Amino acid sequence: MKPTLTALGGGFRAEIQSLRRSRLLIVLTIAEAVTFLMLVSIFGLIGNHVPTAVVNRDGGKLADQWVQEMSATYHTYGVRYMDARSAEQALAQGDVAAILWIPAGFSQHMAHHTMIRIHFVVDNVNADLTNEVELGIPPAARAFAVTNHFPGIRVLTAEKDLVRHEVGFIPYLVVSALALAAFVVAGTLAASAVAREFEARTLAYIKLSPMHPLVPLAGRLLATGAVSAAAVGVAAVLVIAGYGVTPDHPAALAAGLLLCVVIFSCIGAGIGTLVRRTLPLSALIFGLALAFYLDSGSLEPARFYGNNLWVVAHTSPVYYAVGILQYAVHGLQVTPETIGVNFAALIGWALLAAGAAWLGLRRAVVT
Amino acid sequence: MITRAARALRQTWTLAAHDVGQWRRAPWAIAAALIPPLALALLAYVLTFNLGHQPIALVQEGHGRYSDHIAGIFQAQAGDLYSLTVTDRASAMRLLNSQQVAAVVVIPPNFDAAVTRCPALKPTQIIRDYTYAQSGCPAAQLQVTLNNANHSFAGEIRRALAETVAFFDAPDVVTPVSETQLDMSDLNPYRVNVMTALTRANTVDYIHYAVIPCLVLLILSVGVMGTALLCARDIERGTARHLALAPVSPVVLIAGRLLGGVLVSLVVIVPTLAVAALTGMIAPPAGHWPALALVFLATAVCAAGLGAVLGATLRGARAVSMAAAVICTYLFFLGGGFTTIQFLPGWLRHVSAFVPTRYAIDGLRQGLFYPGLYGFGADMRVLLGTAVVAVVVGGAVVRRAWSR
Repeated sequence: MKPTLTALGGGFRAEIQSLRRSRLLIVLTIAEAVTFLMLVSIFGLIGNHVPTAVVNRDGGKLADQWVQEMSATYHTYGVRYMDARSAEQALAQGDVAAILWIPAGFSQHMAHHTMIRIHFVVDNVNADLTNEVELGIPPAARAFAVTNHFPGIRVLTAEKDLVRHEVGFIPYLVVSALALAAFVVAGTLAASAVAREFEARTLAYIKLSPMHPLVPLAGRLLATGAVSAAAVGVAAVLVIAGYGVTPDHPAALAAGLLLCVVIFSCIGAGIGTLVRRTLPLSALIFGLALAFYLDSGSLEPARFYGNNLWVVAHTSPVYYAVGILQYAVHGLQVTPETIGVNFAALIGWALLAAGAAWLGLRRAVVT
Repeated sequence: MITRAARALRQTWTLAAHDVGQWRRAPWAIAAALIPPLALALLAYVLTFNLGHQPIALVQEGHGRYSDHIAGIFQAQAGDLYSLTVTDRASAMRLLNSQQVAAVVVIPPNFDAAVTRCPALKPTQIIRDYTYAQSGCPAAQLQVTLNNANHSFAGEIRRALAETVAFFDAPDVVTPVSETQLDMSDLNPYRVNVMTALTRANTVDYIHYAVIPCLVLLILSVGVMGTALLCARDIERGTARHLALAPVSPVVLIAGRLLGGVLVSLVVIVPTLAVAALTGMIAPPAGHWPALALVFLATAVCAAGLGAVLGATLRGARAVSMAAAVICTYLFFLGGGFTTIQFLPGWLRHVSAFVPTRYAIDGLRQGLFYPGLYGFGADMRVLLGTAVVAVVVGGAVVRRAWSR
């Protein structure tokens, strides 16, 4: 037992030394993980508060109220009051996406409930933006009419929410992104550690040792796992401090992230064994992370994408990890499966990934 | 003089061709450069289909004229605003609990009676008695149960439902400017008629708008990684010293390296464009091809310059490939490759003004999607200026690295 532990410790120390010599690589790996957090944050900003110029030629109280309703309704518009010339200039320069012209006499018309026409000029830069901007108008007009108890409103909605505290989109996204950050960091470091053995042809020397050659390799993977856990911990602290997110269940968060590091280290080891080159690993893992991001419920519960994509999502550990992390941080259940089932699935994934990595490495070492 | 220039050009070309040959013999380097743009293109493509159509269940318990009418509106708007499942209340709640739908909308049995109680307005009606509105007519209520796990899709559903309900009360509240008739329908209680006018002749569909900029990422990724790896390899293998000692002008050597980087980008982008044009994926207006060629060429030169800086500064192929992937992704995202710049908050739009890829992406979209080349000149001035700076800085850094 002692020689095994010595070999394991030797591998661990060797990898730590190797990582200490290549600090730039660690920095870049963490930068890649933080890139994910940044990118999903940018993605979360899409579709909200579209900059919209309002040229208010009325200036009355009801005109102001109409604009306020427009600004408040489902966060579609980021309203900026401008004069006509500045608004047209801003539209031409792409600083605003639309101009709403409120005509003189608007407030009077509204007070008397007589019809009035408003002009709305939209920069139809693409179909998505055009739809977003146009779709916001009827709800805004409706909200104004409902607030002022206009006659003739015949239908209202009575909403009952399943979740008491609604989570903002960016806090939701960055929590999901932690799982993907774990994939990028743990996967890249583990894959590099294994691929380097092939590239430098050091496996031959390891095979000559009296110990099973996989033991020192396992030590190396333990080291990359420890460094990855620390890096993911930094990312989690960044999310908690930077985005003001307080986890509801910190222990579940830690356990979920730790399981992610174990699984992704094993998957990384498998990828390293298959590719056997360090150069494309980072790009490959980054590309795979995007695929996982797509179909893991990172944006919203995966089942809302439809049953086909939801079934496919089950083949990825990120799906279960996102389920656990959203529960741990926001107290949300975003998978139909319970948290216990998600943990069991992740543990199963960890065992499967470890077994597959072990078999792959053993085969590679033998050949 | 002419002979000397021709010789220098030949030497530059020889070096560039040699670099392209080296790159072609490195399949893993090619893979490292191609995977991120391909993955991002796939991501953009699939997200376009998946986002913005939240699944909702509709339960129709009222069966009168108005219930049928609003159910008809739900069905007509399904596909545009949401995906719809019509079912009974118990099944709808099961679907909600198993997350197969994000919301359940119930048209209650008393819906018709409640709607009938509220008289519709007359077109010329002027109301002075507000008590009629405030106390005389309790509106019919659609019962909505919503899985509001996050703000984004919950807001989307609320807005879509508001749109549907608005269509019931005021179908023409928004009308295109081509319709000159004021909406005086007795169904419009909002008393406003919003006339929309679009500033551009055609509206580009989002798939093309989102996926096409990946061409810029492709050039960037291949150019940066190709040039950076070639520079890094020279330093790693010690061949940089041989180059520095060669009886060739340093300007020629550096020009050869940068031209190699540009050619590597073009080797990838030209066939990609050919395939895209032949399959109809891109169809620029007549006469815009030279403008597009300028965008691609300027971006490739920027990429080569940036790659030269990276390759000469960082040590090791692995670090270079990782840094290149991270930098290219940032440049792409901050340049508006994955978003519409207009959607971003002010501070981020100001940041993106300093990202040269924004001008490449804007120029590419303008050249591909719109009949005129409005703003193209300004985009190209910034992009070409950046290309010149990138070449000068890249050349200086490489020269310095070789002489060490």
